[in-house]
Amino acid sequence: MASSDLGRPSNVPVWILSGLLLLYGALVASGALTPMLKALHVHKQVDLMEILGFTFGGIGILTAMLRSTRMNKPMTNLDTFVLETIPGILFIVMLAMGIRWIAEPIVVMMSKSLVPVLGFKIHKVLNLNYVVLGILVGIIITNSWGIPKFAASGVKTARFVLKMGVILLGARYSFAELAKLGMVSVWMIGFFVLGTVFFVLFLGKVFKQPKSMTGVLSAGMGVCGVSATVACAPVVKARCSEMAYTIGTILGFGILCMFAFPTIGKIVGMNATQFGAWAGTGILNSAQVAAACLAFNAVDIKTLKVGEIFNITRVLFLPIIVLVLASWYGKAAGQKLSFKEVVIDKFPIFIIGFLLLFAMSSFGLFSPPGHYKGKYLDFSYNQRTEVTPEELVVLKNAKLEGLTPEEQAAYNDLVKQHQIAGNFEDRDNKDMFDATARKRMAGLESILAREKGKEITISSDVKSAVKHAVKQVHKKSKTIVTLTDAMVWFFAYGLIGLGMQITRKSIAQAGGWPLVMGAISGVTKATLSFIVVMYFVKDVVLK
Amino acid sequence: MEENVKLEKENCPVSPSVDSDQQDNEERALSVFASEKNEDLTALVLVLIVTFFVLLFTKWLA
Repeated sequence: MASSDLGRPSNVPVWILSGLLLLYGALVASGALTPMLKALHVHKQVDLMEILGFTFGGIGILTAMLRSTRMNKPMTNLDTFVLETIPGILFIVMLAMGIRWIAEPIVVMMSKSLVPVLGFKIHKVLNLNYVVLGILVGIIITNSWGIPKFAASGVKTARFVLKMGVILLGARYSFAELAKLGMVSVWMIGFFVLGTVFFVLFLGKVFKQPKSMTGVLSAGMGVCGVSATVACAPVVKARCSEMAYTIGTILGFGILCMFAFPTIGKIVGMNATQFGAWAGTGILNSAQVAAACLAFNAVDIKTLKVGEIFNITRVLFLPIIVLVLASWYGKAAGQKLSFKEVVIDKFPIFIIGFLLLFAMSSFGLFSPPGHYKGKYLDFSYNQRTEVTPEELVVLKNAKLEGLTPEEQAAYNDLVKQHQIAGNFEDRDNKDMFDATARKRMAGLESILAREKGKEITISSDVKSAVKHAVKQVHKKSKTIVTLTDAMVWFFAYGLIGLGMQITRKSIAQAGGWPLVMGAISGVTKATLSFIVVMYFVKDVVLK
Repeated sequence: MEENVKLEKENCPVSPSVDSDQQDNEERALSVFASEKNEDLTALVLVLIVTFFVLLFTKWLA
């Protein structure tokens, strides 16, 4: 229920919020804010700032006008679901804009300025992005001033918007990612995902924790962080505080892993592939996987690639985990559920939406089917993808020493063909053409990585030309980039709303048990995957 | 949240047991929608609309 017919919240805040949004849009459009936006490195998003400012400002004005005509009249569905909800939506949108375009850039800038003192970027280590900032801002508002009366109803849209984010998540992945991994790797990932879920459910029983807490933590620890937590929370009827606890536990455990994994990997002498597989399985958050892989080995690009692919493949197990949890929660609540009831009646429609977008993405509706998060490789001959004539002269005259035969061959071919490509005579056989081109690209990427690791020395001109050639074949689907932007906004909005539903009381009720269960299951998974990786994953994982 | 619950209490006076049940349910599933199915369907339809417009402007008309 949004409010009652006894009296609606005042209209003044709606006028003020709408005015502020319109003013912001106007200031951005006039260019008055450009110096500040440039300083914050968000000036490229000026178009979106104008669209959001004017659209939501306009909606706000319209709402305020309609509300003023309906004051002291009985509530109808229009009032409950639209007019009383929009003020809260405007409030959260404004907060989300503040976080994405002011708070987050300021945190990044402060973190970068602290690098000389600390030696690392603290925002990366603590994962201080919009996810954490959004939840924190929500918690602070609720526990200090309280949710403003006019926004109370709008906060109830948070879970709905988070679901929209989860559906859009499906667009970022494609079935080609699974096909790239060998069957052994898929089994290994599946075993650890399901194994962790069941292990956390078992721990929950041992420690006598609420079913909702155990369920949502198992999904978060088993699959991967924030998105899995959000996706599985409605299935097990989790409280907002339980979701926040799960997200906090995952990120906190990831911070420890980021430091511990590279050190352990080096001590036991893992190779690049083994470490990538271990980090991708044991660490949950994808940004933390990337950080650990780079800390272990910044020279061999295979570490990061294997780590990333192991990490993202877990997301594809999400629908299976939802099914498992729906069945488990039904049983735990004392209901006897048949297979049909679990699969058809209890299966959340928004997860079907996730699968629908995943299918659309896999069939190549948004981007060529082999893409990863909208990025794909295009090796077709094209004059626009060639290096510049000046760069070609630099490449021809350079004398490189210390290259491996593969790197040298890739370099020679770049000079010959002016771009990264397969053999001209293979152009009718796309698979063979692309496979050769991929090999050459890997050779050039290896040159850049070894130069970064100071294993070889090349001039800055040559480095820049090789970088340019590599960049030219990396394409990005505009469609998926835009859909991802929308997803990020939905998550930012939803997480602020989620934070607003977390009271001190609810945090105290959850106690420290989620942290204990998260730590036990995380360490167990890291140890088991360590053993599996050491004994079963030797070198070639990617097909 | 507390403000929200307070508001609910003021607006919907109910017996204490029903009140605590309602409070508990609300914290678990704060939603403006009447049912979870409605919420999911609306989310799916909105996402499909967003996807259609994104495809229209970034692929088909671009």
